[in-house]
Amino acid sequence: AEPWPENAALYQQLKEEQILLSDNASSLAVQAFLQMCNLPIRVICRANAEYMSPSGKVPFIHVGNQVVSELGPIVQFVKAKGHSLSDGLDEVQKAEMKAYMELVNNMLLTAELYLQWCDDVTVEEITHPRYGSPYPWPLNRILSYQKQWEVRRKMKAIGWAGKTLEQVLEDVDQCCHALSQRLGTQPYFFNKQPTELDALVFGHLFTILTTQLITDELSEKVKNYSNLTAFCRRIEQQYFEGHDKDCSTIAARSSKKSLLR
Amino acid sequence: MGYWSPSGRRELCCVTHGWDLAHLMGSNRAFAPQKYNADYDLSATQSADTLAFVSLLEEKLLPVLIHTFWVDAKNYVEHTRKWYAETIPFPLNFFLPNAMHKRHLERLQLMWGDDYMEDEERLEKELYREARECLTLLSQRLGSQKFFFGDSPASLDALVFSRLAPLLKAKLPNGKLQQHLKSLQNLCNYCTSILSLYFPWDRGDPLTDAPRAAGTDGSEAEEDPHKWRKQLLSVLVGLVAMLGYAFLSGIVSIQRGSVGPASRQPITLEEEEEEEEE
Repeated sequence: AEPWPENAALYQQLKEEQILLSDNASSLAVQAFLQMCNLPIRVICRANAEYMSPSGKVPFIHVGNQVVSELGPIVQFVKAKGHSLSDGLDEVQKAEMKAYMELVNNMLLTAELYLQWCDDVTVEEITHPRYGSPYPWPLNRILSYQKQWEVRRKMKAIGWAGKTLEQVLEDVDQCCHALSQRLGTQPYFFNKQPTELDALVFGHLFTILTTQLITDELSEKVKNYSNLTAFCRRIEQQYFEGHDKDCSTIAARSSKKSLLR
Repeated sequence: MGYWSPSGRRELCCVTHGWDLAHLMGSNRAFAPQKYNADYDLSATQSADTLAFVSLLEEKLLPVLIHTFWVDAKNYVEHTRKWYAETIPFPLNFFLPNAMHKRHLERLQLMWGDDYMEDEERLEKELYREARECLTLLSQRLGSQKFFFGDSPASLDALVFSRLAPLLKAKLPNGKLQQHLKSLQNLCNYCTSILSLYFPWDRGDPLTDAPRAAGTDGSEAEEDPHKWRKQLLSVLVGLVAMLGYAFLSGIVSIQRGSVGPASRQPITLEEEEEEEEE
């Protein structure tokens, strides 16, 4: 394995006042993945992280002289460096792992985006104030509306624009049900060893569980599945508590506090 | 065929040849509202797997299939447009394929982001690589089984088959993805075995030399009786409506002795009506 530089850094938006549910989930998933690989990373918060990222999406990591964004490419990048979590799986398991990762992206991530950009109350109360927080008056509105328009167009393209909040929550429930069934009583999705799927699921579920939104409907859906909440707690204890005090867990917790406002 | 579909889900049509569309639509519709009741025998984990693989297909394979059939210039001009133009009835075939092409293009631009236009080459490479990976994963998951969950088919099989069969059977001039699918022997066998099991009437040559045959003998032999009945019905309905209107509004009135002007109008109008009904 190639040496991992000490100054490797992960960039995301400001934890306290800016980052949104979906970005926080993605960022936490990457952090969990790197922790599972035992690769130390420093979390750096920048108000313009979204514009710094090569793909326009958060988070991205800066390792040596390379910049990689999003979980999928980061997993490949780390693999090229000689660290992998899924080498022990057979081909069928690898196929299933990829499929479940797409399930999370397809349903949980899209549901988060729907909630924060298409649900009018959430948009007014949480999304716009947070998203535009680093910028002065006219700009914060302009950027927020620009982003909102972009996300809503995408929702239209994938056929989610016509869904109601109830339908979206129903989808989340279906997705959690599938994950819960798959996990069963195992410690991780593929038994003893964590994989990138575990990191991704943890990132999303933990963020959903700890983020206070307008209503609790979303987190209630996850709380119905006790093995999933236990799974989140287990990974939090194993990979985040004590490792670095001021970053990851607090990233998730602080968003809870700041979202309470 | 696609344009008869009541729910207007032409998207499906884009990746599907006419010969199995009706069946697919049925199975897909059973999918959504009933939450996979086609999968009665599956265990809870298998149902979860179904959901996961459906996501994988929709996220990684479907957009690239749309690209292959509708956006890739060579395939669109030489295969898809030709095929649609031959199958869609007269007035519509001039603009419907183009409209669909535009809509698919727009949809992909939205899904893949705006930089898709700027960096088409790179993104295509990336996405096609992911789609090939998706096919490989499916092949690995299938292994040497007959269906995805053992010996009996489930809704996942219907979905996978509906995505793969057109790709396997269409004669695409630019077959990047097709080549990869053909190299995965077990997926090819899987498609052919489903074809012979559930679509026995389609086994002969017609489907192998799509698109031309699909437009001529393959489908028409099957659709002819319906087609004629529908045409006849629409003409009759049109005729009755027009005559009724003509009489009621007084354009035509029956007067003994002067029949001249009334006989011309219904005939010209009737043609228009017939076109609309198609």
